[in-house]
Amino acid sequence: MKDSNGLVSGRVSRRTVMLGAAAGAATLAMPNILRAADKPTLVTSIRSLSNPYHAVWKSGAEAYAKWAGLEHVTLVSEGNSEKGIADIKAMLAKTNGNMVLNSDPNDTPDARPIVEACAKAGAYVVTQWNKPADLHPKDFNPNYVSHIEFDGIASGKTIAEILFKTIGGKGGIVALGGLISTTAAIERKKGLDAALAANPDIKLLDFQVANWKSTEAFDLMGNLLTRFGDDIKGIWAANDDMGSGALEALRAENLAGKVPIVGVDGIKTAVDAVRTGEFACTITSDPFWQGGMGLAIGYNAKIGKFDPAKEPPEHREFYGKAVLISHDNVEEYYKTNVESKPEMDWNDLWGRVTGAIRA
Amino acid sequence: MTIDTEPLKSVSDIERTTLMTFLPGRIATMLGGRRWRRLAPVAVLVVLCILITIANPNFIELRNLVRLANSAAVPLTLAMGLTFIILMGSIDLSVEGTLSVAAMVVVLLAANDSNGNDYGWWAVLAAIASGTIMGLISGLVQTMLRIPSFMATLGMWFVGLGLSVYMLGGSAIRLNEASIRDLALHRFLGLPLAVWVAVGAFVLAAIIQYHTRLGRHILAIGGDEDVTKLSGVNVTRVRIAAFALAGFFFGIAGVLAAAQLGQSHAVIGDGRLFAAVTAVVVGGTALTGGEGGVVNTLIGVLIVTVLANGMILLGISPYIQQTVQGLMIIAAVALSLDRVRLKIVK
Repeated sequence: MKDSNGLVSGRVSRRTVMLGAAAGAATLAMPNILRAADKPTLVTSIRSLSNPYHAVWKSGAEAYAKWAGLEHVTLVSEGNSEKGIADIKAMLAKTNGNMVLNSDPNDTPDARPIVEACAKAGAYVVTQWNKPADLHPKDFNPNYVSHIEFDGIASGKTIAEILFKTIGGKGGIVALGGLISTTAAIERKKGLDAALAANPDIKLLDFQVANWKSTEAFDLMGNLLTRFGDDIKGIWAANDDMGSGALEALRAENLAGKVPIVGVDGIKTAVDAVRTGEFACTITSDPFWQGGMGLAIGYNAKIGKFDPAKEPPEHREFYGKAVLISHDNVEEYYKTNVESKPEMDWNDLWGRVTGAIRA
Repeated sequence: MTIDTEPLKSVSDIERTTLMTFLPGRIATMLGGRRWRRLAPVAVLVVLCILITIANPNFIELRNLVRLANSAAVPLTLAMGLTFIILMGSIDLSVEGTLSVAAMVVVLLAANDSNGNDYGWWAVLAAIASGTIMGLISGLVQTMLRIPSFMATLGMWFVGLGLSVYMLGGSAIRLNEASIRDLALHRFLGLPLAVWVAVGAFVLAAIIQYHTRLGRHILAIGGDEDVTKLSGVNVTRVRIAAFALAGFFFGIAGVLAAAQLGQSHAVIGDGRLFAAVTAVVVGGTALTGGEGGVVNTLIGVLIVTVLANGMILLGISPYIQQTVQGLMIIAAVALSLDRVRLKIVK
């Protein structure tokens, strides 16, 4: 930077050199944030690249970085909290805090050290899914920009309503829940219960737990078929993997496609099944959006497009809008999300905000 | 193994036992002693079936019996392999790892939605071979490095799991080869082909146990390894062969699991180890080795499967199903083993 200031032409006066040196020194002395000339590095911190969810997350992050013309680095914690935090600290040191971090913390407690390290170094951070209940973006203005989650109750309710509509508003259904103690399992079941309360003609024949696994759902579904037989008009599954296990149990009895299934996650098996009509719908948090928009929100705060401190609470801790994949939009979704990379409007920062996170 | 030694030992043994172990044992003896005991698992199975049928007559519907057979297919094939290991007094914890490797191999080599391979039934052979090799390695590690089977197979479990996570890239890959999917979807005489494969595995295991030298040597090692060695049996070779044999059955089970689910992912084996060990033990094969066999295991698998099916039919809450399962295991083992004869319980 010193060079570019003073040594442009061949003739260099002492004054020019002095001015240049002074300007350079002043730049270095300024807080890192104000050095606008250096473009910040975009950093994505995720759990692993070996699951499809985070692989799509990364491609969303890369799409945004390309669109914005910025450097992008992906850090992978491999499920190791210490490694996740240490890598982020190393990046903070390397970039002098001139970075924007979009993190899916490996575990709930990890969010605090990550946010504190970023705030100390002057970096901007957005977290998703996991943070302790007493950690709030508003306590770390302006560095902790936002925290994003997806509402399990809304997801469970939405897919239940579509299932009820598909089977004509009446009849019996069975439900397959996730691991009993997990938040997602509890919230999605609450959503199902809410939908059931609003539809008295639908009867929940049985609620069983298949621990998120297709293998357990497969065996369970066979037994449920024995107990209820043709009374089962539809199947609600708390995730797509269990839904696909139930689907194979139906297939073994020549019932695939006759008893609609709904699930959550939007895994490829489920999207394929929606196309063939074996699934009525699935719903996804859209990791492509999560990967790109998390960086976009952080970056826009950093370059001063908005001041986090002045944003309303529902922009600081919010539920994102999940994307529903049903019969109506599956072909389009398949074309834009499975066969090619989706197009996003990266300027629409708050377009998917559905409300502040429940305390 | 069938010599009845009880009359000679009973007096001194009874003196050593406490009232708690003495009473149930005495009751069983009064009801006919060891002969009754050997039939205890069968009795449990019959009683279970009768009780469930009274509560829900759907149970004995033909459709349900077919479903029962279908859900017993994979556990039965697995448990066949595990029986030989437990008969030796060893344990094989690599069940889930080996199964997931076999399922991974079959899916990646047959037509699938991830790569261009399409080797048809060669994929099945490769999967069974890879299961056998995993077992062979377990056996070699155990005998050559002198590592207890518990640790050796624990290691192989994680090796296998890691291998399939890596190869599958953490995602679920669909099996598109129709002829392999037919194992689960096509029916012969009303039963899915997978059930016939499991029956075949059972017959093969029974032949090995009752009609081959290997089978007898395995039983002998479980009874008393030192005596077996002194009798001139190459114990090392028998052990390696037994683990490879177990891997062979786990490989078949992996193919069946992939065919049933129409996909493979790294956790396809989750929970199968516990189910298989439970089935073997509930059937009356002693964890100490030397007692029991594949017929016992067949009964054990049926008990576990009928119980799972029955709890759904009876509408037992998922929150207490595991508790019921645990109680049943304790009850079945208490009935089928002669606790009075045990000097040490560890």
